[in-house]
This record gives sequence, structure tokens and C-alpha cells, in this order.
Amino acid sequence: MIVLRLGWRNLWRNPRRSLITISAVACGFAFLITLIGLMVGLAHQMLSNGTELLLGDAQLHHRDYLPKRSLYDTLSPETPGGLEDWMDQLKALLELDHLSPRVYAFGLLSTGELSAGAQLMGVDPELEAGLTSFLEGVAEELTGSAEDQPLLLGDVLAQELEATVGSEIAVVTQSVDGSLGNDLFHVSGIFHTGLRHLDRSLAVFPLRDLQQLLVLDPDQIHEIAMSIEDPMAADGFADSLNKSAILPPDGVVQSWGDLAPQLRDYIGLARGMYGFLIVIIALFVAVGVLNTMMMAVFERTREIGLVNALGMRPWPIVNSILLESFFLGVLGLGAGMGLGAWAMAYLTTRGLNLTRWTGELSMLGTRMDPVLKAVWDWDYVLWSAVGLLVSTLLAAFFPALRAARLDPVEALAAPVEG
Amino acid sequence: MFSHKNIDLLVLLMTLSSGPLQAQQDFTQLTAAEIVDQVDRMLRGDSSRGAIQMTVQTRRWKRDMTLEIWSEGTEKALVRVLKPKKEEGVASLKVNSDMWNYLPKINRTIRVPASMMMASWMGSHFTNDDLVKDTRLIRDYDIEISYQGEREGLPVWEFTLTPFPDAPVVWGEIRYQVRKQDLMPTWAAYYGEDGELKRTMTFTRYRQMGGRLVPTRSRMVPEDEPEEFTEMIYLDLEFDVPIPKGTFSLASLRR
Repeated sequence: MIVLRLGWRNLWRNPRRSLITISAVACGFAFLITLIGLMVGLAHQMLSNGTELLLGDAQLHHRDYLPKRSLYDTLSPETPGGLEDWMDQLKALLELDHLSPRVYAFGLLSTGELSAGAQLMGVDPELEAGLTSFLEGVAEELTGSAEDQPLLLGDVLAQELEATVGSEIAVVTQSVDGSLGNDLFHVSGIFHTGLRHLDRSLAVFPLRDLQQLLVLDPDQIHEIAMSIEDPMAADGFADSLNKSAILPPDGVVQSWGDLAPQLRDYIGLARGMYGFLIVIIALFVAVGVLNTMMMAVFERTREIGLVNALGMRPWPIVNSILLESFFLGVLGLGAGMGLGAWAMAYLTTRGLNLTRWTGELSMLGTRMDPVLKAVWDWDYVLWSAVGLLVSTLLAAFFPALRAARLDPVEALAAPVEG
Repeated sequence: MFSHKNIDLLVLLMTLSSGPLQAQQDFTQLTAAEIVDQVDRMLRGDSSRGAIQMTVQTRRWKRDMTLEIWSEGTEKALVRVLKPKKEEGVASLKVNSDMWNYLPKINRTIRVPASMMMASWMGSHFTNDDLVKDTRLIRDYDIEISYQGEREGLPVWEFTLTPFPDAPVVWGEIRYQVRKQDLMPTWAAYYGEDGELKRTMTFTRYRQMGGRLVPTRSRMVPEDEPEEFTEMIYLDLEFDVPIPKGTFSLASLRR
């Protein structure tokens, strides 16, 4: 108890120096909180853009469908009620918010002289709009459109075909029976995702229209995209779904991490970066604390020699110095928390606007919002705090040992500190 | 179906030579390139008209189609589907390196863009590019005799064709067997740039048609799907026929 008081009192013997060190710890902590907050925000944004744009959190396919995406590897649930019934069951059982059945093919779009190859995608516009954002603003044109046989085009593709809303487009593709599926559609909307490969190649049809063109049954689909509450839980979700009996026997579920490994890699990399940042900042703080505590021990050489000569054991001396450093750290963390929270309050709501540097940008195949908002990740806040506190204690250990080892005779001969 | 960088379809189908083959000619005096060119010219005509039955067998389905084919040189070709009913009237026109498809169901003519050249032609194992490419073997390939002697009791040549460095071809190497007795091709094997076998063509049923001996049946087997094939059988074939004016036009494509 006396050691505790000793540590606390010693802290304020040179308030200016202690405050400077405390503020160094505080700045380090606040810096970690905000920087990691921004990086977590970036990772979240990439993930949600990656999954919410088109991918979903997990997808169900026929086990042979990926990576070749053969037209023939369709899923067809064996539920008597067909696809719709089965999707209802799936939703209820898994408490899924949204899922969306899809059909894909590759085909040729033509307005006559102008033709372009395109990825054909059939969706249920309502279900798709509940899950993903790539058709934002135009999804309803697939249902509510006055056009017969409606079709949505990516804006770059539309440009390539010189097509506008209302344009007639001939669509040619290989059907599953080997025949040449061909029909006329009308552009009822044009979408822009910001991802060039989608804007340039994607043509979206009502699910049933594309199934008919491909000579597929209404129950035959290539993919069901799903979204769940917490994207970070997608791997576990996919695993448990793969073990459940509700899947068709040839169906397999993959999480966004399996489907877009570059996203998972980025998030793994970002986590490594957080740890690295914590270590770097902790090192800086340690140097500051080491300096402070060395000074403190130098100043008190005589006094330490005196208590030593009076018979104080070395451990209380070590402890009092460690405690002084501990107080430095805790006060610094408290102040840093306040500072960090203040900065985060701004960064989590208003965010950093990067527009002036970047314009529209995409990264690793996902569209980035130019306003970067920070996100609290309490795990890393805790790890930052622990890292900084451990580093302040370790930094004080050397001066403390030095103090404990002082020879009382020499120490008492040291000059008196004003 | 008419892969032409080699001796496949186009050459086969639209074949015709400029004069009757001198069967007694002493081929052994010719260089490898000359022999291949001889075969090439023999199977190439100023013009031709024919009907073929095309069978496409895949893992999932099998289809029989009857096609009518007109050709002029290697530059122009018109293929029209006669059967089955569902695709009657579907037609492809090739003029130089351009290609159009006509689809009667929607009454539209569609130009095939460069990006679709490697896509399947009419559901077969041939690509649009096979139909359109206008290459001649001796122009694009360095040709060597890699084997000369008997195979299954018949004297043959086997040629190895290696593309010239800047030749606009998709193959890394072609191997090609020709019978010595009548210059009939028996098989051709196509290798990718990586040296891997991609497809094999076999030629059989040598018959007199249109006044000359031709392999009337050819079958292409893609290496990655050995159970699948596209087979073409000549039902009839005429060489150097007068071709009505405007046959190779967009207007005639629609007819």
C-alpha cells in the first residue's frame, strides 16, 4: 500500500515531465484508435461493397458449377413445391433475411451491325433488390416496365451497342438442348455499378425469360445468393449449411471468403497491419517511458540509496517505479481514450472524404465509397491498450532494476537533486 | 466446323482444286510444303456447293443438322441450316474476315463480333473463328516431314507444321497424316501453344464426289471432352459450280 502511494506521489514530483509522457501515451493510443478505426472502416466498406453489390455473403451452387460455370450444372431442389417452396423453407429454417435465385449464361447481344458478347444473368428483380445493390434504381424496370421482354444493360455495354432505353436487342445464346436460343428483348433500364467488368459485360433479364431462352425449367437455377446478419460469420454459416439436410444433395454453399479470396486475403492482411501498428506505436511509447523513468531514477539516486541503506528490500523499490510507470500508462490511456473517442465521433459519422484525391474508385474488384468512415472495433482498442500498457511496464523495468541494484554507499554520495 | 487453318472443314467442304489431280504424279519428288500445298489445293476450289449432315455429340445432348454450303475461294462462304425444323433457315455468311448470322425466328441478321470468335459455331465443337479464319497452311506454317513409311499397311507421310513466328494462327503445332497413294488426309492433330493436344480430326469414307476423290466423313474430337465429337458427312458436293450472283450477300443470307 505504501508502495502504491509512493508510486503515485513520485509521479507528480516532476508534473511537467510526467504530463508530457502521459500525453505521448495518450497520443499514441488515440492514434491507434483512429487509424485502426479507419482501417477497419475500409475493410468493412470493402467487404460490404464486395458482398452487397453482387456477391451476397454466401452462395449456393451445384457442386460442379464453379469455376467453369457450365450451363448444365443447375440446381433443382427436390421439394415438391418447387424452387419457391424450397426457398421459403430455407429462409425460415436459417432465419435468412434475403436470398436470390439466379441463372447465368454467355451470349451475344446485337442491335444489328453492333454486337457484343455479354454475361446474361436472370434474376427475380424483387428478391435481387432485397439482397444486392447493383441494380439499384432500375430493378423495378424489369417488372414494372411497359416493355415486352425487358432487359437491363450495364452502361458501358449499352454504349458499346449504342442502345438506349427502348432499344431492341437480339439475344443469341446456346441453349441446354444444343439449339441456338435467340429472341428479341427491349432495354428497359441501364445500370452503373462503378465496376468496369460488370458495366461492360452484364445484361440482366427476368429469371423466367432467361430460363425460357436457355430451355431451362422454372425450377432450374445456377445460383442462390444469400445474405446473413454478420458477414464475418459467413464461413461458419456455410459450413453448417453444408451439413444440413435442406441442401439438395449436389448443392454446395460457399462463403464470400471462398468466392472472393482476394477480399478475405485483404481482411487478413489488414489484421496483420493492425498488430504491426500496435507494435510500432508501443515501441515509440516505450522509448518515451524509458527516458522518463531513467531520468526519474537518476534524480532520486540519493533518496533510493537512503531507503536502501535504511533497509528497504529491493522489490518494493522496483514495484514503486513500475507502479509509477503503470500510472503513467493508465492516465495516458484514459486521456487517449477521450481523445480517440472524440476523433472517432467525427470519423464514424462524417468520415473522411477522399473524393478530391480519388474520384470514383474500385479496389480488389469492389467499388469504394469515396467517403471513408471509421468503425469501432473494440477488440483492437483493447489490444492497443494492452500493448501500450505492457510496453510502458517493460520500459520501466530496466530503470527499476537499476534502482534496486544501487549500491547504498555510492548512491548516497551522489549529488543532491534540487 | 470449318476450321481452316488446317485442313478442316472449310478446306474440306469448300474444296476444290484448279484442275484434276494428276494421280500418277510422282509425289515423292516434292518437298513437304509442296505436298501439303498440293493436298490443300486439291481440296480447294474456285467454288463449291454441297450438303452435309453435321452431328454434334456432347455429354448432354446429340443433334443432327443438315446444312447447305456454298463457297467461293477461301474468302466467301454461306452455310444454311436445312434441318432440323426448329432451326431451319438459320444461316451464316462469311466474307473475308467478317461473319454474320441470320436468325429467322426473330428475323434479324447479327454481325459476329471479334469477342465471339472463339465461341461455338451452331453448337458444334468448331468455333466461329474456325469458320472465318482465312489461312493457308503453307503461308502460315513451316512444314516438315516427320515420318515417312507405312502405317497400318499404307504408305503415308506425317507432317509436322510449326507456325511462323508472326502467323495469325491459334495452334502451336499441327500434325497431319496424308496417304501417299492418293494424297488423301487421314488425320490431323492440333496442339496448343503449350504443346498440349487440343483436338483431333479424322477423315474417312473416301468417295468420288463432284468428280474428285474426297474424304466424305470427318470427325473432330476435342481432347478435353473425349466422349464428345462433331462429325460432318457430305451428302453431296459439286465443284466449280456457277454461283448465282449475290449469293454471298446479306440479302441472300435472309432468304
